[in-house]
Amino acid sequence: MTDDNKDTTNVQHIYRNKTDKRILKKNPWRDYRLHFTVLVLAVIAMFIGPIEIQLTQGVTVSIMPLLYTMILGLAFYLAKPITWIERKQSRVAEGAMMLFIGILIAKLAVSSGQSMDLLFKMGPALMLQELGHLATILIALPVALLLGFKREAIGMTNSIGREPEVAVVIDKYGFNSPESRGIFALFIVGTMIGTVFISFFTSICVSSLPLHPFAFAMASGVGSASMNAAALGPTLAAFPGIETQIEAFAGFSNLLSFSIGIYIVIFLALPLTEKLYYMLEPKIGREAVVKEEDDSNA
Amino acid sequence: MPDLIDGSENVSVHGIFNWIFLLAIFSIITAIGNYVGYKHPIQDSLIGMGILSLITLLGVWMERKLPLNISSIIYISVMGIALAFPTMPTSEFVTYYVSKVEVMAIVTVFLAYVGIGMGKSWNEFKALGWRAIIITILVIASTYLGSAIVAHIILVMTGVPA
Repeated sequence: MTDDNKDTTNVQHIYRNKTDKRILKKNPWRDYRLHFTVLVLAVIAMFIGPIEIQLTQGVTVSIMPLLYTMILGLAFYLAKPITWIERKQSRVAEGAMMLFIGILIAKLAVSSGQSMDLLFKMGPALMLQELGHLATILIALPVALLLGFKREAIGMTNSIGREPEVAVVIDKYGFNSPESRGIFALFIVGTMIGTVFISFFTSICVSSLPLHPFAFAMASGVGSASMNAAALGPTLAAFPGIETQIEAFAGFSNLLSFSIGIYIVIFLALPLTEKLYYMLEPKIGREAVVKEEDDSNA
Repeated sequence: MPDLIDGSENVSVHGIFNWIFLLAIFSIITAIGNYVGYKHPIQDSLIGMGILSLITLLGVWMERKLPLNISSIIYISVMGIALAFPTMPTSEFVTYYVSKVEVMAIVTVFLAYVGIGMGKSWNEFKALGWRAIIITILVIASTYLGSAIVAHIILVMTGVPA
């Protein structure tokens, strides 16, 4: 167990060092065009505000300003005519983002501190909902097998696949293993569409499922900080008047996902995924879609 | 090898001035956004952002300077919770100004940086294909619903009024 821990943190340190270099070298605050662009995007987004679209009776999708800035930011990077947001700015933004995440965490922590007595009272629900994350194995693993994934499926479906989980899988199976390829794919796709998807998905869920507001708040903490924020938007909008409590539950649940979630992956999710994989693969496995490369170092 | 970005918890320690400048820029943009979207006075938002920036700065500094192997996320969370805890003398001041900064104002600015930062992974993303997208959507949806449903059941079992 202690060995596991050491290797996992080493993997995380590689990325930290990389960010260090970026923040150090570039004098990131000097790239005024980047920050000015962000300012303009933020002002436009806040000015427009959320847009609500009624899908059917009682089911609404709300598009939050946070999605406008994220999608426009990505579009600015990809758009050829916009020459002042290029690879260099993207790297600066990436480094800066890792610092700004602290602000978001601090804001949610202040909300948690204000509502500490409530968090203690709801302790059992907060802890046990972490086990609810295991639902992904039961639902996504069979589908992954039907789609023709082999051992990649173990990496892809054991958890939501953010940094701590990626580190655990690399640590357990090796960097070039099919399992790691699986979780890399999940990580990349989740980074690209996860935030947008969870925001839409949450707004559909809060308007159509009769669950407790606090349950939605806790569930919004399942993934990364961006995903937490994106899920929080529609939840706050749907339950006015209890904003601080909802922020408190979301923030604390995200903290739990980050701190104890990794142990749930090591001790429960990965063994369970493997067990289910060996049970189901002979029955519903298809022809491999990913060519077998050298799996010897797995 | 994919870049591990999106919501990572680790930041540099050396360029402390770089951090301060970056946090100042972020605070100003957020305060303006907070005014445009929610009409909170800019001075109040700036004080609130100053408090949050200070917590962040201390957190990332402690991550590197203290010999413990603890992520800045934990330091920042513990400090934020402690400063706002109802019995603390700092509680009233901190919660008053921090509550002036809407979480959605912070997130809107934060995700603009995320959007620009994730542009680099676009080609990798395009190469992955529709199967990976289906699985990712299923994983996120079922993790979210699993968590919400378990939380709901426990809340109802422990008799929490809605």
